[in-house]
Amino acid sequence: MTRLLSLFTGVSLAFIVSGCYESPSVTSYEPGVYKGAKDPLMQANKDQRAETMKKRFEMVQTDR
Amino acid sequence: MARMKFLCDAERCIECNSCVTACKNEHEVPWGVNRRRVVTLNDGVPGEKSISVACMHCTDAPCAAVCPVDCFYTTDDGIVLHDKDLCIGCGYCFYACPFGAPQYPQQAAFGVRGKMDKCTFCAGGPLQDNSNVEYEKYGRNRIAEGKLPLCAEMCSTKALLAGDGDMIADIYRQRVLKRGGRPQTWGWESAYGTTG
Repeated sequence: MTRLLSLFTGVSLAFIVSGCYESPSVTSYEPGVYKGAKDPLMQANKDQRAETMKKRFEMVQTDR
Repeated sequence: MARMKFLCDAERCIECNSCVTACKNEHEVPWGVNRRRVVTLNDGVPGEKSISVACMHCTDAPCAAVCPVDCFYTTDDGIVLHDKDLCIGCGYCFYACPFGAPQYPQQAAFGVRGKMDKCTFCAGGPLQDNSNVEYEKYGRNRIAEGKLPLCAEMCSTKALLAGDGDMIADIYRQRVLKRGGRPQTWGWESAYGTTG
């Protein structure tokens, strides 16, 4: 009975201690750098968008 | 590439609040959140001046500088946007912003703040352009549709201008030359610095 109890204690201790380890992979954090998802708008054709915006501006923003 | 900017001509603004209404309607902005406001200086006194204020999409945005989770980014044309999936609603950007632009919807009891909400220059956010998810989180993406911010497009007196900074400056210069006086590009120095 004593042997069985000590075996059980040993197995339990080994199981509990197995959770105590240090992960070698570290999450590196670059401060001041955007961490979110990429904006699809940024992948669109910039020059084409600039031209469209210019036309729109001339249509709706100029003085009356 | 054009550098997008806002300019409010205080000589022309008549405090009609149509920019505020247009913004709220276009983006279905919830109660308690105002992406744009009209502020009147010396209200009721002859010579009072009104200005329409929202996020000015600063060149060196202080909100982005203080954000602990780095959820801000600037597009190629200078529009400052943020990712609501990263935002933790801490409120640092509100304290940093010289224009009081960041807003927080009350989402629970005891004044618990939700994700920050602000003017997007009608450019949505980092989600599929004009998708339902983008609309629910950030509002309509008019820039992707080839349009300019509705607040400026709706302005009846053309006091509020939005678009390429050079084109806006040309229009404003012509106005000042025509009517005389000195230029008062309200907020431009805070937002865009002296060099722009």
